[in-house]
Amino acid sequence: MTALLDIKNYRLDIGTFDGPVHVLKGINLTVNRGDTVGIVGESGSGKTVLVRSVLGIGPRNAKVVEGSISFDGQDITNLPEKDWTKIRGIRISMIFQDPMTYLNPLFTVGRQISDVIAAHEKAAGTGVSSKAARRTRTEDLLDQVGLPNPSMLFSQYPHQLSGGMRQRILIAMALAGKPDILIADEPTTALDVTVQAQVLDLINSLVEKLNLTVIMISHDIGAIATVAKRCAVMYKGEIVEQGMTQDILNRPQHEYTQRLLAAVPDIDIAPEKVAAEATAAKPSKPGHLLEAIDLKKVYRSQSGADFTAVNSLSLSVKTGEIFGVVGESGSGKSTLARMLMRLIEPTSGDIIFDGQNISGLSGEPLRKMRRHMQFVFQNPHSALNGRHTIGDAIGEPLRIQTNMSRRDIEARAEALLDIVQLPKMFKYRYPHELSGGQKQRVCIARAIALNPRLLILDEPTSALDISVQAQVLDFLQELRSELNLTYVFISHNLAVIRQICDRTIVMKRGEIVEQGDTEQIFMAPREDYTKALIESGRKTSQAANLQV
Amino acid sequence: MTAAPMNTQIDTPAEASRPLTFRERHASQIRQWRLYAHMFRKSFSSMLGLTLVVLFLLLAAFGPLIVPYPEAASGAINMSAKLQPPSSTYWFGTDEMGADIFSRVIIGARTSLWIGVVITGLAAIVGITLGIIAGYRGGWVRAVIMRITELFLAVPGLALALAIVAALGPGITNCVLALAIVWWPGYVRLVEAKTLSIKEELFIESARSIGAKTPWILWHHILPNCMSPIIVKMSMDMGMAILSAASLGFIGLGAQPPSPEWGSMISVARTYMPDWWWYSLFPGAAIFLTVLGFNLLGDGLRDILDPRSRDR
Amino acid sequence: MLTFAFRKILTLLGTMIGIAALTFVITNIAPGDPARLVAGPNATEDMVATIRSEYGLDKSLPEQFIVYMGDLVRGDLGTSIVTTRPVLEEVMRYAPATLELVFVAMFLGIVIGVPLGMLSAVYKDGPLDQVTRIFSISGVALPAFWFGIILQLMFAVDLEWLPVSGRLPLVTRPPEFVTGLLLVDSLIAGKFSTFWVSLQHIILPAIVLSFPCLASILRVNRAEMIEVLQSDYIVAARAHGISSFRIVALYALKNAMLPTLAMIGLRFGWMLGSTVLVETVFDWPGIGLYAVSSALSSDFKPVVGVTLMIGFFFIVANTLVDLAYAWIDPRLRKA
Repeated sequence: MTALLDIKNYRLDIGTFDGPVHVLKGINLTVNRGDTVGIVGESGSGKTVLVRSVLGIGPRNAKVVEGSISFDGQDITNLPEKDWTKIRGIRISMIFQDPMTYLNPLFTVGRQISDVIAAHEKAAGTGVSSKAARRTRTEDLLDQVGLPNPSMLFSQYPHQLSGGMRQRILIAMALAGKPDILIADEPTTALDVTVQAQVLDLINSLVEKLNLTVIMISHDIGAIATVAKRCAVMYKGEIVEQGMTQDILNRPQHEYTQRLLAAVPDIDIAPEKVAAEATAAKPSKPGHLLEAIDLKKVYRSQSGADFTAVNSLSLSVKTGEIFGVVGESGSGKSTLARMLMRLIEPTSGDIIFDGQNISGLSGEPLRKMRRHMQFVFQNPHSALNGRHTIGDAIGEPLRIQTNMSRRDIEARAEALLDIVQLPKMFKYRYPHELSGGQKQRVCIARAIALNPRLLILDEPTSALDISVQAQVLDFLQELRSELNLTYVFISHNLAVIRQICDRTIVMKRGEIVEQGDTEQIFMAPREDYTKALIESGRKTSQAANLQV
Repeated sequence: MTAAPMNTQIDTPAEASRPLTFRERHASQIRQWRLYAHMFRKSFSSMLGLTLVVLFLLLAAFGPLIVPYPEAASGAINMSAKLQPPSSTYWFGTDEMGADIFSRVIIGARTSLWIGVVITGLAAIVGITLGIIAGYRGGWVRAVIMRITELFLAVPGLALALAIVAALGPGITNCVLALAIVWWPGYVRLVEAKTLSIKEELFIESARSIGAKTPWILWHHILPNCMSPIIVKMSMDMGMAILSAASLGFIGLGAQPPSPEWGSMISVARTYMPDWWWYSLFPGAAIFLTVLGFNLLGDGLRDILDPRSRDR
Repeated sequence: MLTFAFRKILTLLGTMIGIAALTFVITNIAPGDPARLVAGPNATEDMVATIRSEYGLDKSLPEQFIVYMGDLVRGDLGTSIVTTRPVLEEVMRYAPATLELVFVAMFLGIVIGVPLGMLSAVYKDGPLDQVTRIFSISGVALPAFWFGIILQLMFAVDLEWLPVSGRLPLVTRPPEFVTGLLLVDSLIAGKFSTFWVSLQHIILPAIVLSFPCLASILRVNRAEMIEVLQSDYIVAARAHGISSFRIVALYALKNAMLPTLAMIGLRFGWMLGSTVLVETVFDWPGIGLYAVSSALSSDFKPVVGVTLMIGFFFIVANTLVDLAYAWIDPRLRKA
């Protein structure tokens, strides 16, 4: 039996100003009919370029240096555009990462799917069927991917639908041609945890029902393990390891795979060592550093309707602890974080920092107060001004808040770079020259420049690769004990929360659902919502899949 | 999108104890400028634009010193040589007063440069200030500024300028003033839109969280990030302002003869059509090449400065 | 959709009032005593005073403004000093000629600009793209008045293919007035020879007027097409096997049309402004020429009248563009 897809020693370069970049370096991968293959890799590993090359939609300035891709016995490495029409979308189809940007906003859902059907019929040479026939077929497809009320959906526009629904529509579109191979490019990354689990379930059920061959790429090993029987690990343009998913997860051979797996935070493992350290680090007088009393934020939309982002929420953070806030998108956790910092004005309620009510402060006193509490943002790529050097970025708080001389600030910036374990040379660099993890370290250096007592970390690792996330988390814990900091740590990732937080609150629609010691919440959740959250978190966590 | 793995990491010398050289400290900027230069040089039209603009600036600076008949600019009369066709003595021919058109066109460059710089400069200063305030402050301040801006934009610029000059009276100063009055709203709209989007960036929130005051944020964070489109627009506007002033000159409301302004030269020359064709041909070509130069330059700058076309 | 249209029309009215206020301000920035200006250089102090009270110039500025707005509402744009006829009447008489010219020029701009923009985007960096790039930037840089003169020299004087200027030869009787647009009226009247003659007359000025417009429509359409063609949903459409032609001509074009439409609205106003140049060169009896000749004879009321009229046409065009936007983009309909 010949392989359905056979990639042989495939090498690909992309031309840039600095010369060609070797994006793929001798890829060998075989996919047989009925296989479910996962490709795991972090950003820049070349996994997206690889699967797009299989569909002939790779980057513009790419050049195949060596090797070939053949599909069902046909060499498709340098296929002319007109021959692709018989393959693309019909025999090989693809679903994409962010369902919002992959649907054309100006056309109805039904129109977009039935256009795909018409294109397939045309390519097959069978003649395009009637509008009504295509409509029926479209509604069948919508039904197949578990969408309710297909006939109504048919005439709706993408912006009227939720993220999960849009992803299902993209899947329906990909299934329109009854493809031999379905490529899924990070199909869950842009979705909420609970929705992620649903989409993965859907893909699994389709594989079973339609006997699909699936290639799924993701940075999330948990998601891969849920779908793929076989898997390949990509690192810097190479496949470093491939085999049965079970084997790779249990007995990783390559050093990179081992590192990657070790970095995945496990929702089911209690972090004993860290917890012990946290207790040891507690000061003799465990007062409350930060308290919020009856905090409320109401937004008024243009149509006049009120939207309560945070509703009568009270919490208290003890000096020296890591206080976790967990919730899905829209739970109001980011609004809460910004209110604690007074970056967003609360509608009502008080914030007490170190015994002082700061909710009424403004002007100079507020500016002074900002020295003592600092914020680390979710996305380090946009939290740094691209036109300032790293040195300027780290020195900025000192220039604003102190009278230090230029030379002292330079020296302090170098010292801070040292603390966050980056070379001093970096002060002359610009943000776009740094990797995500490095940028987040710079953001942290900036946050601790004024020796604050409290850091509010808003999803500090969710924009980072897993292995980088692990490093940053370790580093944050080191830093805390070194500088006697208190953290408020916000995340949607339950495994991360469990790994580092002492106490945690679970938020849903602006309110606290459950609160208590982190371990207690994870071991014995009282509320249904918490249970559901932990359950879907477990589904995308690797450990649970190992036990299958 | 495809995250093209652009490895822009610059090799960092190991923690050196010696002081770093200038090149090492500014390696990032040097690379950036080399990239700009590379992209700019690759484009024929950008280089053409740059050449035309440099030529124009040189003529504006040294024109009066190199022309064969400097007195032609001040309305000297030489009736014996009137309306001569182009020849080796008078390269572009002569006008109805016998003045050398070549000299007048060259000297006209300085007038045009002055017009362009004043209009663009005034408009940019007023427009950027108002735009950045409107975008950052929001609320009623923004509402007031933007309403007034939209009002100005609701009447086509040339028509509005014509009305203003008609009210103020013809003349080069009034013409420049009128054009500056109709020109600033474009900058307000550009800068306000840009400010609105930059305001939402995390680094602005980050600056606020470390206690930066509003002027600091505007000056250090918002303005530098607005600069690319502003530079592009200013380059384009230099050309368009010169063109508009020449248009008013042509109508007869701008510079008045015998001032060596290209538009007003064509205005007079028009009555000598079609037999004395050279009279209007050369000043017009001068306007065209100047405006073309600034537009091509602006277009080339857009290609290299536009963040969408740059790797991030 | 209806409330959307209603809101747009309210905005339109507001802007009209704003423009009226703007012209009032301009009227009052004129240096010197307006009454003396009207009275002429030889007037005595008494005559000036009479005129001052006659024109209401002795009242305070706010009062004058109210009077001015009241006149506008009643359609009174004042009287021309030169022709001593009501400005509104004259503007209405000249407006159709201008509109006809602008419509034809806009038609040329869209019909040539959009396809050329599309093609240069699809064949980006190819020879066609290089040519259109130089062509489109030249189009914006060409002084309309000079370009007009050159075209007159070539096609009217030298080759004698087309008439030099005017709307119709003096000997031709204009068709019966229906819309005021000669091309339309002559067809309605069934006079094809008149249609042909007026078409010959309009070609050169329309080309001159449309050139910058064509150029910028081309550029915007090209830039938007390039951006849209790189967007995720186009990648997805390709991956789903939709043919390249369909992607470009249907999917991408509709998305790219939004900014192109905005540019068309903008250029419509710009064209109205440029008529003051083109009509002067081609002796085209429209409001542009009327404004210029009035301005040159210090007759200020007609200039204001034309400014108001041009502003009005421009706002109407922009409102239409906004409505078209909402018609194309479903996301705007709810807002």
